[in-house]
Amino acid sequence: MANINELINELAQDTAVVKPARHPAVLSIEWILAAAFYLATALIFFGYRPDLTAKLQETWFLAEIVVLVAIFLTTTLSAALLSFPDMHQMPRFTLIPAISFSIFTMVMLFALQADKPPSPPPDHSFICTMSITLFAILPAIWTFYVMRKLASTHHYRAGSIALLAAFSVGALWLRFYEQNDSILHVIEWHYLPMIVVSFIGMWMGKIFLKW
Amino acid sequence: MKQSLAGDQHAYTTLLQETSRLLQPYLAKRLGFTNEVDDLMQEVLISLHKARHTYDGNRPYKPWIYAIARFRLQDYLRAHYADQLHRADDFFELEEILQIDVTESPFSYESISGEVQKLPEKQATILRMMHQEGYTAKEVAAKINMTESAVKVAAHRAYKILRQRLEK
Repeated sequence: MANINELINELAQDTAVVKPARHPAVLSIEWILAAAFYLATALIFFGYRPDLTAKLQETWFLAEIVVLVAIFLTTTLSAALLSFPDMHQMPRFTLIPAISFSIFTMVMLFALQADKPPSPPPDHSFICTMSITLFAILPAIWTFYVMRKLASTHHYRAGSIALLAAFSVGALWLRFYEQNDSILHVIEWHYLPMIVVSFIGMWMGKIFLKW
Repeated sequence: MKQSLAGDQHAYTTLLQETSRLLQPYLAKRLGFTNEVDDLMQEVLISLHKARHTYDGNRPYKPWIYAIARFRLQDYLRAHYADQLHRADDFFELEEILQIDVTESPFSYESISGEVQKLPEKQATILRMMHQEGYTAKEVAAKINMTESAVKVAAHRAYKILRQRLEK
């Protein structure tokens, strides 16, 4: 007990004024705006698929993009909440990405059924996964950097969700950039790797979000 | 907490004291020994200090501090059980060694004790406290004003010297 009193006195010496961290909603809006800027810059720099306007008229493509955006928004909010020890006392909100992912799975299954006769798959395969991953590196670094400054008590979940948020930005970019209509290819090489990404995120969370 | 975030030293001291009083039963219920509770309490208080910027004063304090305490408790228990597992591994190794007939030792208690006396005073004291009086390295360190790792290093050196001398 004497040690504890000693420690309390020692800690209390640090009387610097502490600026409270920003609200998770503000944090996630910042991340969303930064990602939107990054995405827009990349599309201006690399260009976008020539049939984008026509594709956005297609129900399943539009649904896919809308739900992918929802995944990005919900994972971003969830990552921001998970950066706080008590999840800002809104633990239920951290589970919202599960709903987005469920809807996304259904949308992709419907899109796959609607793709009849199936569109021919492109020649490449894993290059798409690689491109998405490379594109997601910057948002991932930034997200982890901001999260490290806070104090997550759910390293695995926080890491996994943060990496999924970054990966979804990459997935969005590739859908806008690559002229490819094969849903099977998109599921296989754009979205299924998200499962692996979530596990890598857990591992990264364990390492980088320690405090 | 709002006052302590604003740099009020007295408010912060009171908050830390109240927090340790609040968490004492919570940790004591989950840990067996008083020294474990004290160790963990210190870690929780340091964590509170490090993470105090994640509390804005607009939401209840208790869920926030309990989240930190639970997190540190889980960490502590994880490390504790990993250590137990490691010791269990040592016991498996020990089982193999136990097959060897050790009843006829070439060294008598007197010869070992005599050699311990010949060691430098500090090393002899450390070995006596650890092996005759049953203190842990941490407790020995506290008693003779050394760090725990320094005690371990001194003990290791002493074992080495003893082994060499007894094998001669």
